Amino acid sequence: MGRFVFIVPPLTGHINPTLSVGAELLDRGHQVGWISLDENLGAQLPDGGQLLLIRYDQNDQEKNDSEQYLDIITKKIVYGIESIKFLYEEVLVPLNQHMFDGIITQLDVFEPDVVINDHQLFAGAAAAYLKGIPYATSVTAPAAVKMMEDLPKIHEWEVNQIIALQKELGIEDEKSVACSELLTMVFTSRDFFGDMELPEYYHFPGPVISHRKKVIAFDWEKFHASPAPKILVSIGTTFDHEYKKDFFSKVVEAFGGEAIQVVLVSDPDLFPEWPANFIVQSRVPQLDLLPHLDGVICHAGHNTVSETLYEGLPLVVIPIAYDQSHVAGRVVASGCGVRLNYRRFKARHLKEAVHEILSEPDYKKAARKIGASFQAAGGTGKAAELLESLVLHKQAVTLDK
Amino acid sequence: MDQLTEEPKKLSNDEIFDVLNQFITEVIGEEFVDEMDITPDSSFTKDLEMDSIEIVAFSEKVKLHFGENINFTGWLSNMDLDEIISLKLSDIINYIRQCQ
Repeated sequence: MGRFVFIVPPLTGHINPTLSVGAELLDRGHQVGWISLDENLGAQLPDGGQLLLIRYDQNDQEKNDSEQYLDIITKKIVYGIESIKFLYEEVLVPLNQHMFDGIITQLDVFEPDVVINDHQLFAGAAAAYLKGIPYATSVTAPAAVKMMEDLPKIHEWEVNQIIALQKELGIEDEKSVACSELLTMVFTSRDFFGDMELPEYYHFPGPVISHRKKVIAFDWEKFHASPAPKILVSIGTTFDHEYKKDFFSKVVEAFGGEAIQVVLVSDPDLFPEWPANFIVQSRVPQLDLLPHLDGVICHAGHNTVSETLYEGLPLVVIPIAYDQSHVAGRVVASGCGVRLNYRRFKARHLKEAVHEILSEPDYKKAARKIGASFQAAGGTGKAAELLESLVLHKQAVTLDK
Repeated sequence: MDQLTEEPKKLSNDEIFDVLNQFITEVIGEEFVDEMDITPDSSFTKDLEMDSIEIVAFSEKVKLHFGENINFTGWLSNMDLDEIISLKLSDIINYIRQCQ
């Protein structure tokens, strides 16, 4: 049996897919570990999964200082293309610098057959590359790949940031090793990703959204009591209170007192009170809720969009930063929803957009089509198979020696 | 609309501005444009608050309209991150003027 290790950043959207694939690998009898900075990850791991926590000496002031960027991503106000610069310069590069030594230590402890690095954890790919361990790459934000085509210079800028970092870590090559040439798994379907020529080591196993073990309390009674259409509103895990206040006040204005049941993901204390037709919780059982919903309003984060389309539901997408603009572009291009501009939209636009996706059956039809393409892509089973093939690859390489 | 799809002759700065303004309106919607004060000095990301997919959609329209006469996509795709962040309408007007 194989030994697999995931190297993940402290970002929910990047971790969740690895939990699904990891659970599948564990079911198949493999050993699976997760290298992370976040000790809370332990509680989320599937049974049998091992947390390989990166810890540095408390006296190492430099390391402790750089831990501050962990908060930065949720606190800083970023929008649009500028957010890409912020993401690299203030989050990804320091995060990767910070994690690298710890990754090396944990690889020595765990001795994996195969490493799976998150596509934004270049340090994970670099560590595997330097140690000669076969690695695969998990792409949880596929729009980053599509960016190569739409705005090539921005992609080039990103690659240059990665190459500069690699040099610091001891790799002299003039090309990025961030995405594995053995196996790069893009967690969506080809249909949703869109046309683009890619090397043959890119695989599309579809979104991997099974196996979450956490049970989240929810007022199902109130939810089911309403005969009105039901929508979920979420802007994900990375935006701070200012964004939420701004965004959710428009949601309240649009749907307060209307014949629609709103489930909204937010700290309930954000406002002193909420309309009676709102259920507001800081965490909701999103996967359990989706089959009972009629539509979703979100920030076009890749995971929420994938989970929604998997259920064949239409969307209103309001991208805020990073790759979300591109994910929203795919939602519109595939006919699965309507897009609004975060800075410009007003309550009435949101109301019109929701009315549009709920009353015009073509959106749902298109969403179902994408949902079917997700199911056909193979999911966790396919991803596990692809990863298992790398263990065989490693054995073949070892035998050759 | 007809005059927008004809072969462009030597356009003045104002004429180019009007064409670009029309494309911006198509991308972000008339009612939003009405509330904005769009000038040649307006930047796409800061003033017009366009995100990357809107900038790509806008550049498609410029490309379709001016066609063979200018290599707009090539010009835009050679811009680095900072240049795109600070891109203004006047930069595009100047580029089109040069190509005429």
